[in-house]
Amino acid sequence: MASTSAAAGGGEGGLAVAERRGVPAASFVEDVQTYLSESGLDANSALAFLQERLQQYRVVEMKLLAQQRDIQAKIPDIEKCLDIVATLQAKKGTGEALLADFEVSEGIYSRARIEDTDSVCLWLGANVMLEYSCEEATSLLKKNLENARSSLEVLVGDLQFLRDQVTITQVTIARVYNWDVHQRRLRQAVATKDS
Amino acid sequence: MQQAGSSGSEAEVTWEDQQNINKFGRLNNRLHELEDEIKTAKETNENLEDAGNELILTDEEVVRFQIGEVFVHVPKDEVESRIEDMKEVTSKNLEKLEEEKESVVAQMTELKKILYGKFKDSINLEED
Repeated sequence: MASTSAAAGGGEGGLAVAERRGVPAASFVEDVQTYLSESGLDANSALAFLQERLQQYRVVEMKLLAQQRDIQAKIPDIEKCLDIVATLQAKKGTGEALLADFEVSEGIYSRARIEDTDSVCLWLGANVMLEYSCEEATSLLKKNLENARSSLEVLVGDLQFLRDQVTITQVTIARVYNWDVHQRRLRQAVATKDS
Repeated sequence: MQQAGSSGSEAEVTWEDQQNINKFGRLNNRLHELEDEIKTAKETNENLEDAGNELILTDEEVVRFQIGEVFVHVPKDEVESRIEDMKEVTSKNLEKLEEEKESVVAQMTELKKILYGKFKDSINLEED
């Protein structure tokens, strides 16, 4: 179950979320010098720590992307089912049978004659199929579609949050690295001046 | 992927700058998604066009129209109107996507101006 911590959302405003869905937020570094002295790390250890954080973010990103692909595949399937149920319901009044060609096996099709019917069977997964009336089927499918769409929204939000943290970490890495290069240059300048 | 690279300049990165960079990254991702969606929508439109044309040429009365995974036998007129409806839906969707893409590109141009203004060479916002 996706749970987001209650804090000002999004990071668009001033406040940033401390963590989301178990993923810690990357803390923004106001000043590199202060950050390094407060954490007691030298530049290299800081860089190593930040790189590791980046890796962890990437792993979570892969997972979320896979979940997103799954849901994006599920949604058109549910819409197709809704289409069929709607077509069956529309035919119900006319008294004619519905003729449909369906795939028996790859490349092999057969003709089906679907008489007026009040019920359909829905595949619920895990080798379970239940019979529903057309109305119940429509409302169940609609509910599933709603759930899938809102899960997708939450997922997209999580991914955006994650990408922001990746960007912040990348920028911090660049800044620490540059600060370190800058310091080395200063030290060298002092060393050559003294000698 | 666009990255914010630095070459040792003195401009400090404020929280506001970071938020701008984050926003740019997010917009860039959205732009790529939109371009893919627009491509798919254009293909669907073309397919519907072709289907409509085929329909005019055929002299069968009953057409097998795909609903879900099966091909339902539907009279030609109904198929025509269904295809018209689908074409309208796809066109509207395409319009909406193009509009969103324009807005995203405009926002990205704005952000580029701001970020290049502050960081000049220290930042790279181009596609590599």
